[in-house]
Amino acid sequence: MVSITRDFAPPFKLIAPFFIIGVIFYLISSFLLFFFDVEQLSSTASLHVISWVHIFLLGFVMMTIFGAMAQLIPVVLEHGHFSVDFYYIIWPLLTLGIMCMSYGFIYNHLILSFGGMIVLIAMSIFSIETFLTIKDVKEYSLVVVSMLISNIFLITGITIGFIMALTFAGFISTNVIMLLKAHVYMLIGGYVLITIMGFSYILIPMFGLAHGFSSKPLKLAIWLQSIGVVLVFVSSLIESHFLIKIGYFCTLISLLSYFYLIYTINKTRAKKENDMYIVSLLISFVFFAIGLVFGVQHVVTSNEMYAVLSGWLIFVGFFGFMILGHLYKIVPFLVWYERFSPLVGKQKVPMLGDMVPKKSANFQIYLTAIGIVLFSVAIFFQNSTLQIVGASSLSIGAIILFFNLIFMIRFK
Amino acid sequence: MYSKEEIFKAVSTVIDPEVGFNLVELGLIYNGECDKKGNVKVTMTLSTKACPLHQLIIKWVEEAVLRELPKVIHVEVIVVWEPAWNITMASETVKDKLDGKTK
Repeated sequence: MVSITRDFAPPFKLIAPFFIIGVIFYLISSFLLFFFDVEQLSSTASLHVISWVHIFLLGFVMMTIFGAMAQLIPVVLEHGHFSVDFYYIIWPLLTLGIMCMSYGFIYNHLILSFGGMIVLIAMSIFSIETFLTIKDVKEYSLVVVSMLISNIFLITGITIGFIMALTFAGFISTNVIMLLKAHVYMLIGGYVLITIMGFSYILIPMFGLAHGFSSKPLKLAIWLQSIGVVLVFVSSLIESHFLIKIGYFCTLISLLSYFYLIYTINKTRAKKENDMYIVSLLISFVFFAIGLVFGVQHVVTSNEMYAVLSGWLIFVGFFGFMILGHLYKIVPFLVWYERFSPLVGKQKVPMLGDMVPKKSANFQIYLTAIGIVLFSVAIFFQNSTLQIVGASSLSIGAIILFFNLIFMIRFK
Repeated sequence: MYSKEEIFKAVSTVIDPEVGFNLVELGLIYNGECDKKGNVKVTMTLSTKACPLHQLIIKWVEEAVLRELPKVIHVEVIVVWEPAWNITMASETVKDKLDGKTK
């Protein structure tokens, strides 16, 4: 009889807090959108904006990614965790660190540096566990290499962030503006994007039953993006406008290659139904493409508003929908695995799709998409009425998401 | 003791919870043999190497054979990656449903 190792299937009680806390941070970040002065929204330098970005990116994006990694790393590496128990300390540390940081940005820079240190510790534990897991992997596939690279960028990016936090608190003196680009690019372009690229190669074909597509576009995308991140990092240290533009160009080509990969996966998928997962991915890619256009406009015109719009669409539109789509796949799977898989062959068990409140989830997805569009228009025109309508749409969507999550977790 | 068809019928009680089809109609079961002593060997594949249910599916196949074929004393499940699975190996019913031609 084949035994099911715990490393391959971490207990749901270990992963659930990441998703629940992640969605709570998503709720908080949605509610906070009401309280922005609409003029603040056109500046990346506003401490309120920076604090909000950390709540969203660390609290929702990173928290859910880390939770998903507890389950996905063994799936992707085809190898169990070095010690999955480390995840029990990651989420409390990360939660505390994010709370300190988001408060500290606005009210107390000493608390900010304290929060930064806790986040650094949490992420170091995560990365070290990942490195130790990868160490035992026999075959270094492209996806394994992408995980190695992304985790190196994660540690470097967070360390830069911690140096910035220490500077804010007055402990050391560094050029924060110079470090900012390296910090953002390492974490967003280096960790989140490369992680998404690598996992897309595994997960999207897995859910769509796609076969026969080439891995070459992924290879090109990952290497170009890695070179791009290194170039932007170096250019921020030596202040080279030439290098930074080459770095951005590498990212652009890398993204084109990534989108080509997605196109080929979509073309070869056997499951043609455009379910909620596919719709979420589609929405995320559309937001990403628009965000990218605004990003290019920012590089060309140096207009801050375009940077905010680009960040808003990429963070909330692309990352947000990418995570939403996967939450509706991963959470039912984990609950099913824990609760129903032992009953297979003994009694009738639900299918994974039965565990998703489809109508409510669809409503949430469309409401959120509308909210993102309205809020984007509010940023563009600095219109406070649209800001309230957009924030309302996003907040209602976030509340529905929270209840959908609870529904899936408590499914019996 | 048991024919390939009987082994396949036993394994067809195992349903993939993600897509809702059984393993045989998905084309994941390549072969089934049973010797005179009641030892069954099932050769199968999975739709992806990264299948999170890998270990569980093997267990379900073993349990299904032991449950459905009472004279079986031992089951060995061998997972192979060649030939790699693709949708052409699935039954027409599965292909039509996945294609959206039938509900």
